[in-house]
Amino acid sequence: MGRRDGSTGQHVLRRAGETSALILISLAGGPKHGYALILDIKELAGVELGPGTLYGALDRLERLGLIEPLPADDRRHPYRITAPGAAALRVHLDSMERVSAAGRLRLQLGGI
Amino acid sequence: MDNSRTARLVRAALRCYPARWRRRHGDEAAELAALLIRDGTPAGSIAWSYLAGATREWLAPRSGRRLSAVACALLAAACLAGVSAGLLASTAPARAASTDHASTDHARPPARCRPGSSESVPVVIPVKDHPRVITQMAVHGRPC
Repeated sequence: MGRRDGSTGQHVLRRAGETSALILISLAGGPKHGYALILDIKELAGVELGPGTLYGALDRLERLGLIEPLPADDRRHPYRITAPGAAALRVHLDSMERVSAAGRLRLQLGGI
Repeated sequence: MDNSRTARLVRAALRCYPARWRRRHGDEAAELAALLIRDGTPAGSIAWSYLAGATREWLAPRSGRRLSAVACALLAAACLAGVSAGLLASTAPARAASTDHASTDHARPPARCRPGSSESVPVVIPVKDHPRVITQMAVHGRPC
C-alpha cells in the first residue's frame, strides 16, 4: 500500500536503508531506469547494486511514495523522485551531515 | 560459463519471483541481467541477487506488514530451531566422550549421575582364603 500523502515521516530513509538513499540521490539528477541507476550509483558512490536489491528498493520507495514510475520506454521503466522523496532525501542528507560533522569534531578533539 | 547457461541461470532465478512481480519487472529484469553480463558482471552474482530479491519479495506481501512480520518470525524460528538442533548434534559426541573419560576415574562412587546405558565398574567382593576379589559389575547410574 502506497503512502502518497506526504506523511512518510521525516526520517523515512533511516529505515529504508543506504540503497534507497543512493537511489534517491541518483534520481535527484533526473529520471532513470534500472540499468542507468546501477551505472550512476556505481560512478557516484562506488557501490555496485545487485539487480535484485535494486528492484526491491525501487518497489519499497514507490510504496512509500518517494518515487514514481514514468511511462515505460520499450521494456524499461524509468522512475523519478517525487516531492515527498526530495523532502525525505533532504532530511536524510542533513542528518548525515550532522553525524559527519560530529564524527570529524570528535576525531579532532581526540587527536586521532 | 557459456551464454545459454548464464541465460538459463538468470531465467531460473527470475522464475522464483511472484507472478505479479514478473509481469511488472520480468522483461526489464532479464534485459538488465543481459546488459550487466555484457559489462562483465558474473552471471552467478546476478542470479544470486535475483534469488535473494525473490526471497524478500515472497516474505513481504502487499497485503500488509503484519503478515510479513509473521513470515519473518516463522522463518527466524525455523532458523533458530535448525541452528539449535545442529549445535546439539555437534556437542553430543563431545559430551559422550567426556562421560567415557570420566568413567575411568575409580574414586567416584558407583551411584553417580550417569546418563545413558549401564557400564562396568570394579567391585570388591570379600571371598574366604583370598584377601579380596575384584570383579567387574554392570551397574546402572541414576538418571541425571
